[in-house]
Amino acid sequence: MPDVRMAAYVHSKGVSWEVKNDTLMPSDRLRQDRSESPTPGLVEGTEPGAGQEGAMFVHAQSFEDLTADSEPNTDNKSAEVDDAQEEALEEGDEEEHLESEQEEKGKEELKNSNKAKEEDVTSETWRSHRKHVFVLSEAGKPIYTRYGTEEALSSIMGVMMLLMSFVEDKKNIIRSIHADGYRVVFLRKTPLILVGVSRTSCSDRELTRELQYVYFQIVSLLTLTQLNHVFQHRQSYDLRRLLAGSEHLTDNLLRLLDRDPGLLLSAVMCLPLANSARDVVSSSLQAAKAKNLVFSILLAGNRLVTLVRKKDQFLHHMDLHLLFNLVGSSSSFREGEGWTPICLPKFNPAGFFHAHISYLEPASDLCLILVSTDREDFFNLSDCKKRFLERLRRRSAYQSLQEALNTPSYSLSQVGIPELRHFVYKSKSSGLYTSPDLPALYEGGEEQERLMGLYQHLHSCLHHPTRPLRCIYRCTDTENLYALVTSGFELYLCFSPLGTKSLAVSAVNRLLKWIRKEEDRLFILSPLTY
Amino acid sequence: MSGKSLLLKVILLGDGGVGKSSLMNRYVTDRFDSQSFHTIGVEFLNRDLEIDGRLVTLQIWDTAGQERFKSLRTPFYRGADCCLLTFAVDDLQSFQNLGCWKKEFMYYSDVRDPERFPFVVLGNKVDKEEREVGEDEARAWCEENGCCPYFETSAKDDTNVGAAFEAAVREVLASEDPIDHTLLSSSIDLHGNRKVTRSSCC
Repeated sequence: MPDVRMAAYVHSKGVSWEVKNDTLMPSDRLRQDRSESPTPGLVEGTEPGAGQEGAMFVHAQSFEDLTADSEPNTDNKSAEVDDAQEEALEEGDEEEHLESEQEEKGKEELKNSNKAKEEDVTSETWRSHRKHVFVLSEAGKPIYTRYGTEEALSSIMGVMMLLMSFVEDKKNIIRSIHADGYRVVFLRKTPLILVGVSRTSCSDRELTRELQYVYFQIVSLLTLTQLNHVFQHRQSYDLRRLLAGSEHLTDNLLRLLDRDPGLLLSAVMCLPLANSARDVVSSSLQAAKAKNLVFSILLAGNRLVTLVRKKDQFLHHMDLHLLFNLVGSSSSFREGEGWTPICLPKFNPAGFFHAHISYLEPASDLCLILVSTDREDFFNLSDCKKRFLERLRRRSAYQSLQEALNTPSYSLSQVGIPELRHFVYKSKSSGLYTSPDLPALYEGGEEQERLMGLYQHLHSCLHHPTRPLRCIYRCTDTENLYALVTSGFELYLCFSPLGTKSLAVSAVNRLLKWIRKEEDRLFILSPLTY
Repeated sequence: MSGKSLLLKVILLGDGGVGKSSLMNRYVTDRFDSQSFHTIGVEFLNRDLEIDGRLVTLQIWDTAGQERFKSLRTPFYRGADCCLLTFAVDDLQSFQNLGCWKKEFMYYSDVRDPERFPFVVLGNKVDKEEREVGEDEARAWCEENGCCPYFETSAKDDTNVGAAFEAAVREVLASEDPIDHTLLSSSIDLHGNRKVTRSSCC
């Protein structure tokens, strides 16, 4: 039986792309009559999951917004050339990717955070990681490495700084190196240099986007003002002094980038919850407000229960993911009430908010984050939490929340589409996405990352800077994939390898109907402000 | 003692052929190769050590002294913690060029506080019979140029090599000053934020 691999690219002709929204303020859309039979061309604002009123989030494109800062207009030609070269390498990369995947099947990698730090950087184990991330100062001093210790990698980081400086000395800029199945991506965010290394099928843009997240994690801890100040004051400063104790945040963020589609899509997922219960929770947060309170966020693990914001203030998904990462990386908030300065770089990279972080109960996964502009606000926010809890109990909503926590996700069997193994659906106007549990086939960490890698690949094809696609259907040995993007939503689907393209197309329509039917439960349709 | 070590960037500067690479190799790998080749661009090695109870990792940058490599070496001056100015005691010209090397370093490193930046001067190749630079003359130059420490070294004989690098570390530690942390108190002003609809950095 010959081994047939097929990648089908479908271009839509005659479709005009929507003009990009260049303001951070989302445009409120009048609610139109929601049609009974959805079509793939749903207009933004009417797709399943679209909020009825103003959005909660900054209106962010999946890709462009995150990289806009790092690619000024003058570099457009250079970017095109790089992407053209990358395109030529794509085919070889896929073969390499398939081979490495086969080699790694069955391997079990226990990624203990401490063990990763103590790895010998001269060992084969260190060299065989699928991805590496390095952060150094413009002076060549190590700041962070995902695996190994910064001191042991001092020479390698010097080489990275050297490569960047050599190229810049000739009035040019280094973006990436492709060699021997590896990609090395460089990102300069003065006064930092970030380097990503990968031997997966990740594109350069995907790796750069991940480096952007690492950069924003660092800014979140320090503010850009302070970061610039310390290096202006002393270029030889060892930034690890200020970042001491935060390595686990960056480690955890990188794990999320490998597994959480929300960071890929610039979207967050909601805890499935009855509309009525969510409204009670939102209004209880709305009532428990304080003068300098800007955002009230209730999380359930890595799911958003609700978000209430001050009028005219919007949160960016990336900032919310940094908050998720902060809460998810630390167990210390469980016992009491945390009070921590945090910079939300997309909101304002220059200064700190202060966040009151506490779990509703020590054994619960419900975590309340209250974000204030006043660093003396702790007791006010502590009082807000108490009032919120009292109100929840008085309105019998707490029990509903606890019950919802017992089923924080849903199984694909509820959708009832045979051959469909998994999907990720993002509503553009609400900035929220939904995705079922991974089936048993993908439950292992390695398989989960492999599936995420496939989604990342589809994502980079759809959002290619010069040749974007409207939809893409791809067959591999182990599954068939279908992805499409419209003005209203993005959808990524994974099918059994026995599926066909026509089955995929009909599955989309059925899935959209199901999501429409369930949108009250899966999305936040009525966000509130105070 | 499992804390992170202090990481210091140290640069070796001086004319080509005075023995900078040999000094670095002697200190890091404890080897000397009389058949040494000219450095091209920059090379660097690491050395871990403990000074006065503190763990230190030295990132030692060795530079090419020839003029044609100037554009290759100068980008790496920025962010150095200490500079080791090196000449050979049997080469008067290399000693007379120390002033130019110091000037080049100060120009390209963009040091914020030039008067306090730590320099250490190394007079290498003291194993040679014939000297063109006397010790008194070298010490006088050091006194006139910021009172920097002076070491007579031999990479070949392993004379004073460790002492010179350790002195460099001590010079850095002595001039270490805490970063101003008042910025940690800067909070968000919502009204100021409203004026900036899109903030782009770089």
